[in-house]
Amino acid sequence: METAFELAPAIVLLPLAAFVVALLFGEYMPKKGAFAGIVATAASFLLSLYVLAAVASGGEFQETYFTWAAGDALSETGETTIEFTFGILLDPLSALMLVIVTLIAFLVHVFSLGYMNDEGETGLRRYYAELGLFTFSMLGFVVADNLLMAFMFFELVGLCSYLLIGFWFRTESAPSAAKKAFLVTRFGDYFFLLGVVAIGATFGTLAFQGDGSFVAEASSAIDANETLFGFDAETWVTITGLLVLGGVIGKSAQFPLHTWLPDAMEGPTTVSALIHAATMVAAGVYLVARMFGYYALSPTSLAIIAFVGGFTALFAATMGVVKDDIKQVLAYSTISQYGYMMLGLGVGGYVAGVFHLMNHAFFKALLFLGAGAVIVLMHHEQDMWKMGGLKDKAPVTYYTFLAGALALAGIIPFSGFWSKDEILFDAIILGLEEPIFLAAYAMGLLAVFFTGFYTFRMVFLTFHGEPRSDAARDPHPIGWNIKFPLVTLGVLALVAGVANLAPVGKLTGLEITYLEFWLDGQYGGYADLTYSEYGDTVPFETTYIAGSETITLLIAAGLGLGLAVGGAVFAMVLYNVPEPVPHTENLGSARTVLRSNYYQDEYQVWLAEKFTLPLARTADRFDQSVIDGVVNGVSSVSLFGSSRMQRLQTGVVTNYAALIIAGFIALLLVLGVLGGWFV
Amino acid sequence: MMIETLLAVTFAGALLTFLAPNRIAGKLAFAISLIPAGLSLWLFTMFDGSGNALLEGGELAFENQITWISLGAYEISWYVGLDGISLPLVVLTTVLTTLAIVSSWTPIDMRESQFYGLVLFIEANLIGVFVALDFFMWFIFWEAVLIPMYLLIGVWGGPRRKYAAIKFFIYTNVASLVMFGAFMALVFSLDVTSFALPEVTQAMLNGGPESFAGVGGSTVASLVFIAMFLGFAVKVPVVPFHTWLPDAHVEAPTPASVLLAGVLLKMGTYALLRVNFTMFPDQVEAYAIPIAVIAVISVIYGAMLALAQTDLKRIVAYSSVSSMGYVILGLIAYTNFGVGGATFQMVSHGLISGLMFMAVGVIYNATHTRMVTDMSGMADKMPIAVGILIAGAFGYMGLPLMSGFAAEYFIFFGAFGSEVLEYAPLFTALAMFGIVIVAGYLLFAMQRTLFGPYRLETDYEVSRAPLHDVAPMFVLLGLIIALGVAPELILEMIFDAVDPILGGDA
Amino acid sequence: MSVGVEHYVLLSLALFCIGLFGVLTRRNALMFLMSVELMLNAANINLIAFAFYHGNLTGQVFALFTMALAAAEVAVGLGIILVLYRNFRDVDVTVPSEMRW
Repeated sequence: METAFELAPAIVLLPLAAFVVALLFGEYMPKKGAFAGIVATAASFLLSLYVLAAVASGGEFQETYFTWAAGDALSETGETTIEFTFGILLDPLSALMLVIVTLIAFLVHVFSLGYMNDEGETGLRRYYAELGLFTFSMLGFVVADNLLMAFMFFELVGLCSYLLIGFWFRTESAPSAAKKAFLVTRFGDYFFLLGVVAIGATFGTLAFQGDGSFVAEASSAIDANETLFGFDAETWVTITGLLVLGGVIGKSAQFPLHTWLPDAMEGPTTVSALIHAATMVAAGVYLVARMFGYYALSPTSLAIIAFVGGFTALFAATMGVVKDDIKQVLAYSTISQYGYMMLGLGVGGYVAGVFHLMNHAFFKALLFLGAGAVIVLMHHEQDMWKMGGLKDKAPVTYYTFLAGALALAGIIPFSGFWSKDEILFDAIILGLEEPIFLAAYAMGLLAVFFTGFYTFRMVFLTFHGEPRSDAARDPHPIGWNIKFPLVTLGVLALVAGVANLAPVGKLTGLEITYLEFWLDGQYGGYADLTYSEYGDTVPFETTYIAGSETITLLIAAGLGLGLAVGGAVFAMVLYNVPEPVPHTENLGSARTVLRSNYYQDEYQVWLAEKFTLPLARTADRFDQSVIDGVVNGVSSVSLFGSSRMQRLQTGVVTNYAALIIAGFIALLLVLGVLGGWFV
Repeated sequence: MMIETLLAVTFAGALLTFLAPNRIAGKLAFAISLIPAGLSLWLFTMFDGSGNALLEGGELAFENQITWISLGAYEISWYVGLDGISLPLVVLTTVLTTLAIVSSWTPIDMRESQFYGLVLFIEANLIGVFVALDFFMWFIFWEAVLIPMYLLIGVWGGPRRKYAAIKFFIYTNVASLVMFGAFMALVFSLDVTSFALPEVTQAMLNGGPESFAGVGGSTVASLVFIAMFLGFAVKVPVVPFHTWLPDAHVEAPTPASVLLAGVLLKMGTYALLRVNFTMFPDQVEAYAIPIAVIAVISVIYGAMLALAQTDLKRIVAYSSVSSMGYVILGLIAYTNFGVGGATFQMVSHGLISGLMFMAVGVIYNATHTRMVTDMSGMADKMPIAVGILIAGAFGYMGLPLMSGFAAEYFIFFGAFGSEVLEYAPLFTALAMFGIVIVAGYLLFAMQRTLFGPYRLETDYEVSRAPLHDVAPMFVLLGLIIALGVAPELILEMIFDAVDPILGGDA
Repeated sequence: MSVGVEHYVLLSLALFCIGLFGVLTRRNALMFLMSVELMLNAANINLIAFAFYHGNLTGQVFALFTMALAAAEVAVGLGIILVLYRNFRDVDVTVPSEMRW
């Protein structure tokens, strides 16, 4: 067990080594360094399983490896020094996330062998190197034991996504999408960094765990009714918590900073899978889970998280309905699903949120890789209207994709159903007590219908009906390296729900909510980072419909499932026909709004190009004319003055002599007057 | 005597290079510059000082004081020494000069011996500025830096080089005059017998100035503080005294830009730290808000100006204004992390801006244009140079594990908890927004020039940059990452010298 | 009866004013130079007069110095005039005014 923890740094560092190896020697290696990445992520995955087992057998681990900076700084709560360190925190949450991230990174590496290498692609060395760096950054983020380290790797994740989204840099669109992704998330990270600075300056520590953690400090500050930076402690905790949330909203693509994510589809599909399932986008929600104890101190921030989540879930789902590009549909589904996770965490459903994070990682990776397989089949065509009829030609892809779709739509018994149901259940029992959460719940519930609809619209358009293009009639064959990840993830999408069959457990009384026990530290973990500890902190009351948990459970599950099936059936009616037609045109002006993504891009582009840029140009003109004008003005005045003065210098010696004499006499007179000679 | 050796070697090297034939001047200057670089690194490892050079209890490393001139009641001495603030800057100077020399091999093709001689001459004087502890000596070096830089811009510069060189020279010279006058007034109103900075500082802190020329003591202190601040502000530069900088940068040849942004700007902040923020703690407190306002304006306004530019060099030049605003913010925070972070930022910005100017220079060598609108897709043609440019740009944006992030983080952290500055969190939040704008303009510029389909408006064949153009950038990148991963390499030393300023123990 | 120092001073003053008048009014370089010589010698007279008045030799020594200087000055001055003449075919001091800016 000790060994597992001692090896933990290797989990993080192996992909970094793969990055270095691929960057330096990739050109000389078979498959341009792919195997370095595959070996490294496979080893990381095995080590992560080892760590998971160690945590399961009652272990927990925190160790500081390296002091980044240390110095004197008087914090608001009276600490006089502060240390910024790099350390590893292994508890149930991070151990679980390690397994998810390394597994998906490994599968994406394998999948890339088929997806990237077959196309005569240049820059593969760069691709595999960046993939390694991406995995390294995310793993570093996952194991971070303090907020600053988390922020640093959070930023590195952003850098890697920039590099990978812009992988095809010779096109016009990919670099633009990469820039947008970095810039929009950077805007969120501005708030995050401010939050990190504020929390550090307030509590004198940034540790996640332990008696000296900022969570514990904040808790005692609230208990002692302290005043922090002119606010009472709880308000200040809310403010700083929301600042950190800014980074989450950016990275997890929540409203209003979600606009970068659909554009990010410009990157290779493998990268999309990695970004959406396990790394960049997951980082935001993971951060909320990581410092859930801090948010639990502030009901206001929880309510905001829940509301943002619920709204985003619905908002993104409606946009997914009208998209024609298979990857675009998946992109909006990602935004929507992360909205669910935020909703779950916001209503205090820590387990539900993490559960959905895990399930989503599997089925979204599956769907993206499946979409990647479809794109390979279709000779790099992404428009669903040009597909159709792939069901019989590519059965492996079809059935695995279908498994992912069923999970995404939340159809029993696929994994997505269990976690989504749990989120909605947590939301409704809280919403019955506090109406604001009921609104968030309602949005989340409504989104279930749209999710079911767009998911199956995608499935039917892609795989069913008659082939609508030559490529669809004669698909490109796919190899084992594509099928293997699909099958692995397909199985996981089906069975991952077993981890936490909460409704079954409640109905039958069986103790089968393993994930809840796991996150509650019942197998191992730190006492202050457990579900029940958070539950004690969260100040919410809950109510059941008709006072019965069972009835509420059944109603909630029935509503969710019914809507999901309803959406799926509606999609089937409209699109499961041999020659489907675009029914979206019937939506009229609503379609225009939806296809324009509610004009979210427009106003953000307007802010950048029509507001900030002209402002900058105005500033530049001001600088050139007024400020530099003054500088040049001083010089002009001096030059003009001297051009007048220089006329004194006639070049005639006699005049100089006269001037000297006149000056001498004047001086004599002045001295004389001052000296009193003439009195 | 180590410092004297360092100075003597550099001056002698400058002279030798002047006399060398043009053909070998570049290589010779490089070989010579390795000596001060090695020496300064040796000083770095042998450093045994502690505390602040100007304050009581400061143990200087390599200290040496010899009376030079006696002027009536005052003594001028040759007084050198190093502490944790000046040593990193000396190392920065020598390393950056060496790299700048290598990066000039391609672009400089006339009067080479004079060019490299002047570069070494600048280096010697810059070292002098950072090691001098007597005001007179310091001032001589300070002014002597201007002359070679004036010549570098004026002789080897771009089309508007005369305007830029004269503007640079006059602007900074007028500022020096203001600063010199103020310092003389200070010395004459204090009970001191020399121009040695430690003596002046301690006299300031133990009693402060008496009335001078009919003006009361505290008023003298305030006036001197303001005048010195303005004098140094031009050099930094802070808004609104910044307009010489973009002109000078745009016209200067690449190595001159590297030195100008990398080290010359740091003279201003170094002097601010040494004089204003060490000698005048009361005035710092009194003028905290106006100075913080200036800092925030420098950051945001500088970044906005950079956003409007289409010349790559102008973008980097204006972003220097922005970055130096952070230094001022850190200084005015007057906390360990604030002032320490400001010092760290001096080094870090020296490295990063040096890297950026080199990278832009390499692209210019190949394309003969710096306009964003004139090119796109450069990543296709010169992948390595562009890769480094991207790395440098992310360093500028404050990417973690690069020195820029460390510096900015320390500054923000120090500023947020400032006791001296009222509304410190608000100022911090405002200044921090600069990190978004900096990402904006650098990403926009990169997208337009480096990515997309290849296109170039000028008639030049673009090929990969030669090794000696790329190698110095690799060295800088390595240093940037090293300092970003382990800021303690110099931070410990800096804190040791900064703590006494803020009343801590040496 | 000895002559008082004031007489010498008056003489020197007169001589100086004559020289000054010459400098201010003459355009011929030679006349100009001669006027300067007059002024110099006025100063010399002053020096010697006061040396005599104070009874020491310092003034006389300086007068000797001045004479030597004046000789050198004449040499240089005549040289300049020769060059002037060669370049302008004239020795009018108002003609060459190129050396101003």
